[in-house]
Amino acid sequence: MHFGKMHIKITRQLFCRIFAVKCSVMKILVIEDEFVLLKAIEAFLLSENFLVEKATDYVSGVEKVLMYDYDCILLDIALPGGDGLKILEQMKSKGKSGNIIIISAKNSLEDKITGLDLGADDYLTKPFHLAELYARIKAVLRRKQHDGKQAVSLGNLTIDFVQREAAVNSKSLKLNRKEFDMLNFLITNINRLITKEALAEHVWGDHIDAADNFDFIYAQVKNLRKKLKENFSDVQLENVYGAGYKLCYETH
Amino acid sequence: MKLINHLLIRLSLVLILVLLLWSLIYFLLQMKEIHDGNDEGLLNLKQEFILKANRDSNFVITLQKYNPLNVIIEEIPFEEAEHFKEFFSTERLYFETELEEEEVRMLITAFYCEPNGRHYKLKCFTSTVEQNDLIKNMLYLLIMLWVILSVVFIIVGKRIIHRTNKPFYDLLHKLQAFRLDSAKIFDFSETAIQEYQQLNNTVRHLLEQNIGAFVEQKNFIENASHELQTPVAIAIMKLETLMNEGSLTETQMQELSTVISVLERMKKLNNNLLLISKIKNNQYSDMESVDLKSLMEDVLAIYEELLQYKEIEVKVETFEIPVCRMNADLAHIMLSNLVKNAIAHNRQGGDIAIAFRAGSLTIANSGAPLPPNKNIFDRYVANAQSSKSSGLGLSIVKTIADLYHIEIGYYYKTGWHVFEVKIEK
Repeated sequence: MHFGKMHIKITRQLFCRIFAVKCSVMKILVIEDEFVLLKAIEAFLLSENFLVEKATDYVSGVEKVLMYDYDCILLDIALPGGDGLKILEQMKSKGKSGNIIIISAKNSLEDKITGLDLGADDYLTKPFHLAELYARIKAVLRRKQHDGKQAVSLGNLTIDFVQREAAVNSKSLKLNRKEFDMLNFLITNINRLITKEALAEHVWGDHIDAADNFDFIYAQVKNLRKKLKENFSDVQLENVYGAGYKLCYETH
Repeated sequence: MKLINHLLIRLSLVLILVLLLWSLIYFLLQMKEIHDGNDEGLLNLKQEFILKANRDSNFVITLQKYNPLNVIIEEIPFEEAEHFKEFFSTERLYFETELEEEEVRMLITAFYCEPNGRHYKLKCFTSTVEQNDLIKNMLYLLIMLWVILSVVFIIVGKRIIHRTNKPFYDLLHKLQAFRLDSAKIFDFSETAIQEYQQLNNTVRHLLEQNIGAFVEQKNFIENASHELQTPVAIAIMKLETLMNEGSLTETQMQELSTVISVLERMKKLNNNLLLISKIKNNQYSDMESVDLKSLMEDVLAIYEELLQYKEIEVKVETFEIPVCRMNADLAHIMLSNLVKNAIAHNRQGGDIAIAFRAGSLTIANSGAPLPPNKNIFDRYVANAQSSKSSGLGLSIVKTIADLYHIEIGYYYKTGWHVFEVKIEK
């Protein structure tokens, strides 16, 4: 047994400390008509200690959006009773702003542009990975944080988002673009298992078919892991049964 | 053979044949009539002569003495006269007045002259020169009629057929230019001919049905792909949640991982199908001039790490910079798919050669030859080596190329798979 080292589950407080987000409970509104998907997202967000409100159609969506304030709104734009983009219009006309992430089955460039024009912060195409959704939510929340730090540190690891650099004990890890993107994604989802597919998709987008290039992705991850290990980082990258990867924070 | 020529040749042949036959019959009948007229005249002459000879015993003798132009008379013994049968013949005779031989029609007969009790052989004849001239003239006229009728028939017939068939040719041209995905039916030309009205209506009906089916199919693919996204999203999410529970064994985790990767493939396929139907539905309508060289540099930058990993060397040759008017996103997707394809079907440590020319771009990659007789731009023609790819990458390239009338060629040459993108100027 290792008494000196122990894995700790990152708690909400720890997350808030890392990302310098307000520590009050974050309230999220999910507007989604597909019930099972809504439940899945809700369960996931609840496990991350968010407060979750739900709306399943256009009317209740508009009502909730206009009546309450949310830290983040997940908005499906194909809703029964009306176009989700209209909700954005309503909000804009009423001077309401929220951190809105559009989730849509339509990977439509027009919708994306219109949505972003109407004040949405991000556009996520279904189907997405929960880790990806989480990363997007976090990114939106962090961006909206006026006093948000442009760097975070976890143990001896520091990440500078502006310089796009990671360092252990102030010694640069010399990560390349993709390695930095991976570390960024993994640290947002710290202690969560990230499947190879989710990681590949986040880092490479549509450009690489994960199934075709597992070896390549594995090689990239291996490099990142090696760099973390060689520099004795408190954060270590684990390979979980070949199914995915997990960034673990170990305290001494 | 053109319809118009086909019709004209057949009609003209029939016309010419009928004319020929008719002229022949007409000509022969006329000839007969002329000859009959001649013979009739000779018979009358004979009759008159015999009458006169019988009335006047000196008539024959006088005649023999003066030898008129159209009768020759000579005495014959009774034995010859007894069995003589009169007959017609055509002969040539020397005319002293004309100083030449002329053709004559001749009636040769024998008679008994009662007043002097003698038998005579009578040859009465008439020149056929004028009749021959008449026949010649008739023949000329017939031939002229024949030629003029044929020529007029062909010219007029051609115009009439052409005019009458105008709606048909019109329809034919419009159908040739018609594209199902244009979704708009052309205007049909007005016509008074019932059959062409029917043809136009039938074609219009058929096209409407086809366009309907085509649109429905397009929409079906788009809708089906859309509808599939949510269930796939739920499945992936649930599996990821399950994998994060931490209570699963290694085998279970690996099984789940396999399921996720299968779902991912489905998702990719779905996305690609959606992309294809969106391109076909013209949802990328913004056009701009795209510099293919600098775009290619961006694309190569995306694949830099993968290229390094596979130790693929990229050689770029620039003769001229091709510029294409198209949607920038689609241009990116097209080049990206071509590069992706060149990497995926390359070997470890292989090569990629890219060449820019005026109006064309070639991307070649080293690799083993493909099995022949496969259209690599078809959907789902994936190489056996990479059974996990969606097989839609090149199909997307082709769809984009078709949209902008860009020609995409592929050939294999001494260890290189070459894709050539030809931009219409």
